[in-house]
Amino acid sequence: MSRTRHRSPTDWGWQLVAGGLALLFGLPLYWLFTSSLRPAGSPPPRTVEWFPHAATLTNYQRIFALAPFGHYLLNSLIVASLAVPLTLLTASLAGFAMARAPVPIQRSLLLFSVTLLLIPTAALWLPRYILFARLGLLDTWLPLLAPTLMGSNALYVLLFYWSFRRISPELFDAARLEGSSTFGLWWRIGMPLVRPTSLVVLILSFLAYWNDFLTPFLYLKSESRYLLPVGISLLHQMDTTQFPLLLAGAVIMTLPALVLFWAVQHTFWYEGRFSELAHTDEV
Amino acid sequence: MNRSLILMLIPYGCGALLLVLLPALLIFALAFTTYDGLAAPQWVGDQTFQDVRFDPVFPIAVHNTLIFVGVSLPLRVLLALGLALLLERRRRGVRFYRAAIYTPTVIPDVAYALIWLWILNPLYGPLTLALRAIGIDPPAWLVQPETALLTLVAVGLFQIGESFVVLLVGLHNIPLEYHEQAKLDGGGVWQRFRYITLPLLFPWLLLITVRDLLLLTQQSFVPAYLMTGGGPYYATTTLPMLIYAEAFDRLRFGHGAAMLLLQSLVIAVLVLVGVGLARLILWGRSV
Repeated sequence: MSRTRHRSPTDWGWQLVAGGLALLFGLPLYWLFTSSLRPAGSPPPRTVEWFPHAATLTNYQRIFALAPFGHYLLNSLIVASLAVPLTLLTASLAGFAMARAPVPIQRSLLLFSVTLLLIPTAALWLPRYILFARLGLLDTWLPLLAPTLMGSNALYVLLFYWSFRRISPELFDAARLEGSSTFGLWWRIGMPLVRPTSLVVLILSFLAYWNDFLTPFLYLKSESRYLLPVGISLLHQMDTTQFPLLLAGAVIMTLPALVLFWAVQHTFWYEGRFSELAHTDEV
Repeated sequence: MNRSLILMLIPYGCGALLLVLLPALLIFALAFTTYDGLAAPQWVGDQTFQDVRFDPVFPIAVHNTLIFVGVSLPLRVLLALGLALLLERRRRGVRFYRAAIYTPTVIPDVAYALIWLWILNPLYGPLTLALRAIGIDPPAWLVQPETALLTLVAVGLFQIGESFVVLLVGLHNIPLEYHEQAKLDGGGVWQRFRYITLPLLFPWLLLITVRDLLLLTQQSFVPAYLMTGGGPYYATTTLPMLIYAEAFDRLRFGHGAAMLLLQSLVIAVLVLVGVGLARLILWGRSV
């Protein structure tokens, strides 16, 4: 505690290592942005190029001129803006009901949810594909939106369950005495108190739907319904001098995810109860 | 339990039933049939498994999957652990560094694959050019059968954000008093890591290991499909790639299901053995 405030050599060493690693992890993104600024059609570089010579933003205009790109973007936005609210609705309802259920039922629902978590659902695409084909739902957005029925991910349901459980039961009992229905308790008492959880689920589910390649790739056939990831992967058979154009598309697809993450990343670093006392400079 | 609560659980229950449990059971049924997606499935007993045994690509895919998971898993866990230990404490800029480490994890798969196709291009990719500039002649990463699979593993190593966050939470849950006391007793950095951090972090390490074990096999599909198409010469054809080809290129859904069933069984056994070993270690230590 009597430690001096100025930087010790080990601190400088730490900064160097941590900074170097941060740079390394940032490098792919840096190359993505700078390479997307290369004029399309210009010959590929022959030597290391930290910033393109005639840097230009024209790729960002031209990618939209490639007719369907704007359409894919719109489709992706529509699917995400349907999927996220639906996920919030079903996951919070299920989480709420779990938290308010009698203890034995709570336990079995918890076990059920953890079991669901342990099943790698991405590996279930083959039987799901056959089910959707039998139901005549291929080439619609319904297979893409179907997981919202179960809150998209058992993890989201569990997050809501844990948050609702922390609310003191007296609050609900009081509202109940004033004649509130169970749905009223969920909407008027529960939901306002779990806003941080809703925000986390909103962001995680947006990222999941926005980033997903496999599901739209498997279930959609007509180009008019394609989402951005599938659309861009199709454009990628272009010749190499056009690659910067494609990277501009990749930047546009990455930006919403990046902005969302950096806007809320401070909530990720929950440091527990002892964080204020945490050793600051010692090894 | 009142009726409204049951109503609230219906979408979740039905969704899980239709989208997880029913498909999981369907794999078992399909694996014993031949089915082209059009005509009704034909029950053929274990014929599909016999066919899979003699499929020349199947052993290659199993081998590739084992290498992909076997190399990725320890590297990913160790990397996440190292980064979490380095960025655990409160220091100037630590939150920025943590966010930088997490950033590659939020990049969409397709964009991520395109970035690396550009970076690793054997003629003009920035990495190739940078290595040439310092006098190293790099291999043709994704284009050479010897390096393609390991390159996919390396590319995936940048996306370890979730394990990293889980381990940070684990580290922050270790009471500081333990470290203070050990320091008073003269415990060095290594001893404190060995006897305090590691045992208390063990459940969290187990959690991320099991999670990676469950997910990594399937996660090999998208990068392999987008970056190498399973080639060159089947060098990056993992089981999910083969199952996809079986179903959509050859319209043999039953054979695909048989492979999927084998894959799931192997993963399940590995998880059970892993958790069993972990419990053994935990018991051994607590005595």
